[in-house]
Amino acid sequence: MTERAHTAVTRRRFLKTGALAVVATPLVARATRADAATKVLDFSTNADIAKAEAEGEVVYYGHDSEPGIAVLLDAFKKDFPKIKTSYVRLQTGALYAKVTAERSAGRFGVDVLQLSDISPAIDFQKKGGWEQYQSPEYAAYKPEYLSTPPGYFGVPGVGFAGIAYNKTKLKPEGAPKTWKDINNPAYRDGVSVKLATSGMQHSQWYILRKMYGNDFWQEFAKQRPKGFDARAQLFDRLAKGDDRMCALAEYAGYTLYQEKGAEIEFVAPPEGMPAIAIYIGVVNKAPHPEAAKLFVDWALSKRGQAIYQNQKILLYGSVRNDAGPMPTGKRLADFKLLFPTDWSDYVASHPLFVKEWNSIMGL
Amino acid sequence: MRTTPSEGIARARSWWPGPRFVSLLVGGGAAILVLYPIAYLIQASLSVGDPQARPPEAYGLDNFTGLGRYAHILGNTLQVAAVATVLAVVVGFVMGWILSRTNVPGRAALEQLMAMPYYVTPLMGALAWAIIASPNSGFVNQLWRGLGGEGHLIDINTWWGIAWVMALFEGSVAFVMIGAVMKSMDPSMEEASQVLGAGRTRTMLRITLPLVLPGVLGAAVYVFAEMLGSFSAALVLGLPARFYVVTTAMYQMVSQYPPRFPTAAAMGVSLFVVMFGMVWIYRRIISAGSYVTITGKAFRPRVMDVGSLRWPFLAICVAYLAVAVILPVLTILYASFQHLTAAAPGLRNLTLTNYATALSLDAVRSALWNSLLLGFATASIGIPLMGFLSWLIYRSRLPGAGVIEYLLMFPQAVPRLVFAFGMMWAWLVFPLPIYGTLWLLLIAYLTVFLPLGLRTISGVILQIDRSLEECAQMCGATWGYRLRTVTIPLLKPGLVAAWLLLFIASVRELGASILLMGPKSKVITPAIVESWFSTSTELAAAMALLQTLAVAFALAIMFAVARRAVQAGGE
Repeated sequence: MTERAHTAVTRRRFLKTGALAVVATPLVARATRADAATKVLDFSTNADIAKAEAEGEVVYYGHDSEPGIAVLLDAFKKDFPKIKTSYVRLQTGALYAKVTAERSAGRFGVDVLQLSDISPAIDFQKKGGWEQYQSPEYAAYKPEYLSTPPGYFGVPGVGFAGIAYNKTKLKPEGAPKTWKDINNPAYRDGVSVKLATSGMQHSQWYILRKMYGNDFWQEFAKQRPKGFDARAQLFDRLAKGDDRMCALAEYAGYTLYQEKGAEIEFVAPPEGMPAIAIYIGVVNKAPHPEAAKLFVDWALSKRGQAIYQNQKILLYGSVRNDAGPMPTGKRLADFKLLFPTDWSDYVASHPLFVKEWNSIMGL
Repeated sequence: MRTTPSEGIARARSWWPGPRFVSLLVGGGAAILVLYPIAYLIQASLSVGDPQARPPEAYGLDNFTGLGRYAHILGNTLQVAAVATVLAVVVGFVMGWILSRTNVPGRAALEQLMAMPYYVTPLMGALAWAIIASPNSGFVNQLWRGLGGEGHLIDINTWWGIAWVMALFEGSVAFVMIGAVMKSMDPSMEEASQVLGAGRTRTMLRITLPLVLPGVLGAAVYVFAEMLGSFSAALVLGLPARFYVVTTAMYQMVSQYPPRFPTAAAMGVSLFVVMFGMVWIYRRIISAGSYVTITGKAFRPRVMDVGSLRWPFLAICVAYLAVAVILPVLTILYASFQHLTAAAPGLRNLTLTNYATALSLDAVRSALWNSLLLGFATASIGIPLMGFLSWLIYRSRLPGAGVIEYLLMFPQAVPRLVFAFGMMWAWLVFPLPIYGTLWLLLIAYLTVFLPLGLRTISGVILQIDRSLEECAQMCGATWGYRLRTVTIPLLKPGLVAAWLLLFIASVRELGASILLMGPKSKVITPAIVESWFSTSTELAAAMALLQTLAVAFALAIMFAVARRAVQAGGE
């Protein structure tokens, strides 16, 4: 399972087409030249550190698991002990609903927002929700990993998914090897995927539909797949033998359960693996603006990326130009990742995905 | 309608502005608590523009007309709720009767233990039963196959399984509600029945059951509504079987992007019809009869000597506690010490990591304290408020008391997850800065638990003969004095039961909390659910056990303090 990569990241095409015709209200970019940035620990920031410490707090809204967020915030607090951290954790859909409801009522209580889906990230940009802040750490990222125009949000990591199966239920020769194999009737009533709440599921649906045609998922529906909200549930069931095969097996989930001693195997199909990015930025009208900038700079720096990438509870592949390998010894470049090639089409496909996926899930 | 002289006097006196004014004030306040968020919810259900726009861009009935697509989900919900309610009320009644009216051995201890299933959250119960009885990995089925059986012996991932788990945990609620009524019942009527030759079973069915009907119906209405809004058991046990109920379907709608609030709100609002029907039936039945058993004649609750039947009754109690508490708690305890729950774990699979992780999380450290604090505040503020509201509805003869009851039952008609959206929108725009604080959660809990308090206390109120209050009135007692010296002492068992229920219900609350928590006002149950979603069953198990232990510890302290206070009072 070590396919050499041509990481097919092609956001640039999307950005060039201006599909983000989202064109946010021309905000006055408070861009600051990177050379004017302050060096702190081993990263650069345009935040006023004295002010950030005087603010004394950063409020983070995120989608990761409680332990995942705790690991992230504790690491930041260790580096900046004068800045307390607090957070709200919800799945991206509900989290975004909460943020937009709060803002529409004139409540501005969040400093930093992290989302796991491009659609709400773009919508938030349309609504003027992100503060346009030029992080000096953006210099370490390719333009395709930054918002258009830059400064609204960055990408602190990438997740991707293949197939996984329970070794006690399936022999290697009977295990799936390609994406087409997930439609093998032998796996019927033993297949799990995520529900329509998942950004990763949308990505897989979109990419494989483009690859194999519109009937691919209708064929998959015959497998009577079971849908769950989170990867922990998928791997929990797979490890215990409740399901024989997981058709959306996130690599990060696989490594966690493999470490627990689960009898499961990961398959990286030769066609490539659907991938999604996560998005982080400073929120406009943040109550602690300097602390928010400092946090985003830290998260996108090598220090922050070490947490995102090396803590197994998170295990997001870093897209920094100077990123090292993941704890498994693999780099993102070692995997053939598949990103949507037309982001505007991808975002526009979401309503159809939700409708079709809910129907496949029996909802 | 003809009135008795005493009623005439009471009515004349009720024009005294004091109680009337207070009644209007409290009733109006409670109605605002409920109607304010409901208005936002109804507004959302009529929104046909951008689902996230607040206020809506356009109004229409499209969300309601489109509900036909989800008819099977509504059917699933009613099916599970009805079966689970019947099971829970049977459990509550039988256990209530055994422990209140018979001389079963260890009665006092069993009565204390009967509250245990309520401490064990439905989520914990569902997780435990999933480990015990899943068709493939369930311990029972593994054992079955190990003994040479084929397939599976039991399958918890069915609608029967969901109803079973829900009934186990709501059965204790029904027990507390029905038990409180049974305790307040004058046994002279049962004794008279037996003197006249009726057997124990006939007496129970013909005398006890009709007299405790308000309590039973109150429990049934409350439990049914709880079942309609039940989330965790249906989520844990239903999803693997692709079986959805209204709450799990709505959860998907509000969790995905863009969240489909209007459809979810319409689904929630449509449940009003079902709940109104339930409340209407309840009111029709209780208004058709008299359930007074507490009169001016003194009585001391006595138990029946049931002879050798004591032992089967004891076996029934122990069996219920075994499946509702002992087995789930032991299963969760077992799972919490493992990396990956297995029926026969090797030494390498045993770990303390789940507890280390749980105790390192802010969600456990501060959230647990917040939950206990909110539980105490909700119960202590809620009991006077809800007790007074019950009295207002069933005793005050205030015009519109029925309307007030319907209003106060509203929160029960909407799954709390959806109601929380109404509250979120409502309190976001409220001019006081309470959004994102514990104050908002307190208001939310007081609102969503109004039906629980009302049902528990009203069951007892209906048993108290009006003549006791009227007699005090005739003797010149003021309204406040009557309440303090006659009504409240008679209500004490019901009030204590309601306090306990409210405390525990608040500590384990999930649906309303999940959206109303702020970064500094976290509570524990949502964190447990999130851990199950996003981390592991084993971590969720460790957190659920810590929550259960904390609640038990807090209750032990409260009982000790209360006992000391009573002793100091010389009672």
